Amino acid sequence: MSFLSRFYSSSLGRKFFVAGAGLSLCGFLVLHLSGNLLIFKGPGVFNHFAKTLDSNPFILPLELVLAGFFLLHIVIGLIVRYHNYQARPIGYAKYSVKGGRTWGSRTMTLTALIVLAFLIIHLKDFRFGDRSQGVYDLVVSCLKNPYYAIFYIIAMISLSLHLSHGFQSAFQTFGLNHPKYTPAVKKLGYLFAAVIGLGFASIPLWIMLGKIK
Amino acid sequence: MKFFLEVWRQKNAQSQGGLVRYEVVGISPEMSILETLDVLNEQLLEKGEEPIAFDSDCREGICGMCSLVINGYPHGPEKASTSCELRMRHFQDGQTIIIEPFRAKAFPIVRDLVVDRSAFDRVMAAGGFVSVNTGNAPDANCVLVPKDVADKAMDAAACIGCGACVAACPNAAAMLFVAAKISHLALMPQGAPERDARVLNMRAQMDKEGFGHCANEYACEAACPKEIKVSNIARLNREFLRAVVCSDK
Ligand code: HEM
Ligand code: FES
Repeated sequence: MSFLSRFYSSSLGRKFFVAGAGLSLCGFLVLHLSGNLLIFKGPGVFNHFAKTLDSNPFILPLELVLAGFFLLHIVIGLIVRYHNYQARPIGYAKYSVKGGRTWGSRTMTLTALIVLAFLIIHLKDFRFGDRSQGVYDLVVSCLKNPYYAIFYIIAMISLSLHLSHGFQSAFQTFGLNHPKYTPAVKKLGYLFAAVIGLGFASIPLWIMLGKIK
Repeated sequence: MKFFLEVWRQKNAQSQGGLVRYEVVGISPEMSILETLDVLNEQLLEKGEEPIAFDSDCREGICGMCSLVINGYPHGPEKASTSCELRMRHFQDGQTIIIEPFRAKAFPIVRDLVVDRSAFDRVMAAGGFVSVNTGNAPDANCVLVPKDVADKAMDAAACIGCGACVAACPNAAAMLFVAAKISHLALMPQGAPERDARVLNMRAQMDKEGFGHCANEYACEAACPKEIKVSNIARLNREFLRAVVCSDK
């Protein structure tokens, strides 16, 4: 344990935790999206899929591991940001440096907080919501509310921005930077962010357009 | 040429500072921004006012003493240049130029534009060196170093320790500086004996000084007058991981 706590107490170690948990969460997003998209197959397939998941005894331990990754990422990520905020008590009257700064990188804290708010509402309504009528009805009835759907879409844009920087940033944190592959990692990050954002947002969008009833 | 300079004035570390606007005339385009401050200081002295304190030494881009944030850019908007190398021809006649000190908790302001960068010295003392036997010079080529490795070490060794990376970083992190020093020594065979202790100790001192964490935004690379690359930061991360995972320390 002293090894882990020593590792955690260093600035570089903390970033390894954020990046490791962050990349693991990226893997989870792929699985989650592939399940969600079944909604386009209709209530039968979607509800059956949800039931199958629920009846799997290994889901609960996996969910606990997932919750652990989320907590690790969120808590350490925000602690890191707090330290960073303290590292410059007085800001510049004028700050112009751009370098590799992108919309994604500039808004990491903001997008993190939006995704966190979304996560809490999302868990309350869907994971712990009333699923007796089937998950399909639950999702459609929530997202029929245009405010809910728009909030959902904004959260997915935020997630996409978060990933557009986060994905490639995690590689650098792990020390993986070389002209051989870094350009490809960056492109893959943007592609991943776009697919995840568009994929998740397509569902509230289709419901708003009345194409899923 | 004529300029309006908005300069950060602050009596000492404890007092509150603020931007003060000055007009300076009689500047020629080949003067540097430091020489422009010299001219302004003479005008201030003539009027019986306190001159503006700022750091400089070599005034030819090799010592790293000059430390100005000019219109929001550490060392000014020109690529690969220090403040002392920044000529006034890059500005328009009559332009307003904002000049601030490097800002970071780890670089406290001493007076006006002068900041205390001894945090870097303490990071270096923690491990930024190699221990060698003194005496006769060793035979040339008795330690073989491949050309591409020597080039990478040389590029990292170009760091003059000015602190512009800290000033530019949105999180006031010192990663580019520490990465340059670590890379320079880790790449060379002479750095091998102290390799693990070096990265662990320099990292620990860096944290102790109150620098921020790297968020991989690469503002440092854009501001660096010696164009140190962020791939060195990746090497620092690798060296750290290697020392933590593989060494007995
Ligand atoms: C499924 C959702 C999420 C995924 C896949 C994800 C992924 C990532 C990745 C890969 C990074 C880059 C790590 C690095 O720079 O090395 C990152 C950074 C970050 N994440 Fe997340 N994240 C998610 C949600 C959140 C949430 C909910 C929060 C907090 C409320 C958060 C806070 C942060 C912060 C603060 C950083 C920046 C750390 C830094 O570089 O200073 N993330 N995220
Ligand atoms: S004064 Fe020496 S680098 Fe500028």
